[in-house]
Amino acid sequence: MIKVNQLLKTVPTADGDLTILRGVDLSIAAGASAAIVGASGSGKSTLLGLLAGMDVASAGEVWLDGVCLSALGEDERARLRAEKVGFVFQSFQLLPALTARENVMLPLELAGVRDARQIAEQFLAEVGLQERLDHYPTTLSGGEQQRVAIARAFAREPAVLFADEPTGNLDTRTGERIIDLLFELNARASTTLVLVTHDERLAERCDQRFSMTAGELSRS
Amino acid sequence: MRQALTWKLLAREWRSGELGILLMALVLAVSVVVGVSSFVTRLQSALLSESARFLAADMVVVSRAPIPELWVSRAEAMTLRPTGVVGFPSMAVADIDHMALVSIKAVSSGYPLRGELRWSEEPYGEVRPGGEIPGQGEVWLAPRLFALLDVNLGDDIIIGEQPLVITGSVRGEPDATTAVFGFGPRLLMNTADIPATGVIQPGSRVEYRLLLGGDANSVAEFSEWVTPLLGQGQRLDSVEGAQPSIGETLDRAQGFLLLAGSLAVVLAAAAITLASRRFGERHTQYVAILKSLGAQSREISRLYGRSLFWIGVMGTIAGCILGWVLQEAFITLLGAMLPVDPGAAGSKPALIGAVTAAVCLVFFAWPPLRRLGEASPLRVLRADLGVADAQRKRDFFIGGLAIVGLMWWYSGSAVVTGAVIAGLFVVMGLGFIAASVLLSGGRSVGGFAGSIWRVALAGLQRRGRANALQMVIFAMAIMLMLLLSVVRTSLIGQWQAQLPVSAPNHFLLNLAPEERLTLEDFFSDNDVHSETLYPMTRGRVMSVNDSPLPKWEEVMEDGSPRQREANFTWSDPLPDGNELLEGEWWPADTEEGLVSIEEDFARDIGAGVGDRLTLLIGADPLEVTVQSVRSVDWQSMRPNFFMVFPRKVLEAFPGMYMTSFRLLPEQKPLLNQLVRALPTVTVIELDIVIREMRAVVDQVARALELVLGVILMAGGLVLISGVRSSLDGRLRESALLRAVGARRGLVLGALWIEFLVLGGLAGLLAGVGAEVAAWGLQTQVFSMSWTPTPLMWALGPVLGALIVGGLGVWSCRRVVNVPPVVILREV
Repeated sequence: MIKVNQLLKTVPTADGDLTILRGVDLSIAAGASAAIVGASGSGKSTLLGLLAGMDVASAGEVWLDGVCLSALGEDERARLRAEKVGFVFQSFQLLPALTARENVMLPLELAGVRDARQIAEQFLAEVGLQERLDHYPTTLSGGEQQRVAIARAFAREPAVLFADEPTGNLDTRTGERIIDLLFELNARASTTLVLVTHDERLAERCDQRFSMTAGELSRS
Repeated sequence: MRQALTWKLLAREWRSGELGILLMALVLAVSVVVGVSSFVTRLQSALLSESARFLAADMVVVSRAPIPELWVSRAEAMTLRPTGVVGFPSMAVADIDHMALVSIKAVSSGYPLRGELRWSEEPYGEVRPGGEIPGQGEVWLAPRLFALLDVNLGDDIIIGEQPLVITGSVRGEPDATTAVFGFGPRLLMNTADIPATGVIQPGSRVEYRLLLGGDANSVAEFSEWVTPLLGQGQRLDSVEGAQPSIGETLDRAQGFLLLAGSLAVVLAAAAITLASRRFGERHTQYVAILKSLGAQSREISRLYGRSLFWIGVMGTIAGCILGWVLQEAFITLLGAMLPVDPGAAGSKPALIGAVTAAVCLVFFAWPPLRRLGEASPLRVLRADLGVADAQRKRDFFIGGLAIVGLMWWYSGSAVVTGAVIAGLFVVMGLGFIAASVLLSGGRSVGGFAGSIWRVALAGLQRRGRANALQMVIFAMAIMLMLLLSVVRTSLIGQWQAQLPVSAPNHFLLNLAPEERLTLEDFFSDNDVHSETLYPMTRGRVMSVNDSPLPKWEEVMEDGSPRQREANFTWSDPLPDGNELLEGEWWPADTEEGLVSIEEDFARDIGAGVGDRLTLLIGADPLEVTVQSVRSVDWQSMRPNFFMVFPRKVLEAFPGMYMTSFRLLPEQKPLLNQLVRALPTVTVIELDIVIREMRAVVDQVARALELVLGVILMAGGLVLISGVRSSLDGRLRESALLRAVGARRGLVLGALWIEFLVLGGLAGLLAGVGAEVAAWGLQTQVFSMSWTPTPLMWALGPVLGALIVGGLGVWSCRRVVNVPPVVILREV
């Protein structure tokens, strides 16, 4: 499902180019779950951005479901995301002007799905928020917001789900519930799951584990 | 993104209230532009009608021969209302011992078409309202004619062969200054009586005036039709030239109002720029999320493009409606002050509003929104990614050009536009230099200062670029407000100085030398304040440096030297209100043949200092040398002269005396006694005219105050938008400070310092910019003298600091009243 060859990412700084990723190779099978662990600033989020086609590599290739991302323009990558990719973020990234239901409907609408409303309500019910459909993000707790984000991610039935520190902003108990929910839905939908975390316990629940250190990725 | 989804997102944006801020800014911009523009248009038409009073019509055909009937019928066909006036000098005879040369004005029904004919039953009695003219067989006399002819109300006087009965006294004609038929006192009669008098014969000096009243289009149409038909001794008089001093007042008022409108355009652009920047900044994250979910750049651009289009449509419609309400409120406020119905504003203000909206949206609102499409979706992973520079230099440049074009179109004056742009350039140039120097210097000072200062100055420097832009926008808004206040104050000040309450309001001419004592006694007995008595002799300039000047009628070319007849006087000191432009004043008691000439007169005869003039006084020649050239304040209501001589040079020639004096309303009956005591003098009553002129000035001044108020409101709203544009960053930092335990006093104190410094600097720049623009406007547009305004330099920083400081801290007050976690979550 995901294949990465010799991925390099450098960014210009005042003191010259800074290398963030140094020749990363990675392969994740369809339906598998993979965790990328590492300290802050090790390059995990940069790799996630490149895997999801949100950024462009300085060198190397990223293949997502048989498509080489480096050959695509920004709009084509966006279309690919709309069709195949779901996201769960550390800071939830819900749109504050939209209700819980509208937040979940948004990716469905972007992909042109007809019965977006029913699907959104169904997924919100699955994450236990059927009573909170018309609530705005600011009136929801952190755990509830993350559940909305999970519903939004799965509603599109994506081929790949990227999760960036999904429990990073939550307390331990809530975090555990969120992880249970994430894996449960993932198992049901057979989605390929890529998790970025520094939570070792979370990483252990994944099929594959990778460790990122100073821009270099190794299997652990 | 499908069409339906775009609409849905748009609807959700509306609901969130974010687009509302942009819409509000646009509605404000359009309503101020439309409101001021409609008000100016309507006021102009009202003021034009007001100045039509001095012509008693909207246009007048003046002819030495009777006006052709065809012209009258043509005017009627063009929906103009005509009425005829005939003027000529003639003898009025009461009896064998009492006769006087009078200036007869015969009027027909409908006169005057504009303004009011005032009359009283008794000479100098209570003035009656207008609406009447002398009936057939009746005459109204100027008050002093009653004494001169020794007649009373109801007596007969004879004009030519026709006796006419005296039924009133004429006290004020709207066109007294434009329709002058000789020097005698006025006698008003009905045109129907002219044939019976038999005084108009071939060769008589008669002026026929066809007064026309109607709407501007018909007047213009008739003017176009009749102009080619005008022959020798025929001309068209229009409103613009009717009353020079009022004309100048109106011109300046118009200039001011157009300036105010142009400033409204600039302020509108500033408000929209600020609102859309804030909108763009707040939406970067929103767009990043949309893109992470698969939205494409062009779909995002289409979403915001469409949003902007509908904001434009709604903003323009709402702005036009609000602008209309605004100007309607102005007109209602002015209400009773306006002498005539101001008429409709037409569609031009709405067009100006729509074009302003389009220019502001395309050049100032669209760039930050267009760039939203370029926002990186990576921001959802890395919140530290910077926001794309919302406005690029190219956008500002093109937008600036568009605004200059709009101001030019709006004000119709390159000079007005140029002066304001020059001021704005100074503000912008100095602003960015000052911002970079002072704000970075502030950091090093702040390093040694107490913690409040350190926090405040660090904040200023951290947002250096944004602060520089904010400071420049604050400075522009304050500059425009200061500029308008200064121009308004000096305009009104000058108008009031022209017509001081203590100014003389009567002229007295033709006083014989032996009557001087009688007059002086009369004035001192009755406590009347008068100016100096000036001797007056009439003479003509025949040649300059021995080259004879051509006669007036022989000169075809405008501005070339010619003979001039003028009133001469003598004075050993320089007369009050005169200013020497060239040369020197002569020592007292000089016997040298010298003369001082007025500047325009000098131009007319083509003479300057050192030139030798040959004059003719009566039949006697006189040779003099030009010793100086003077400027004269013609609006001072004091006796003024083109040519002033040393006493000993002119004393030998026969002459009469003149002066001006001031009568209070309750002293008015004294005029009867005066003309009975000195029956040969001519008294010109200017009190009514002065009163009318003062009424016009008051009206215009009030209108300017109103417009200034609106512009100040618009400027205030720009300041609020400016403060709001940086609110999120400041709120976040202040909330963080509180979260780490900073006291309420430290957070508030730092905010106060930050906004006070920004506002103070902006005010200082505004003072400089306003001075530059005021210099340009006062010297180039309003033909006024410029004097520096030190108060503005002091007031600018103080006002800037207080307003921006107050608004800033008020806008951020939540940060000390609401738990920091709530604010951090919101922003």
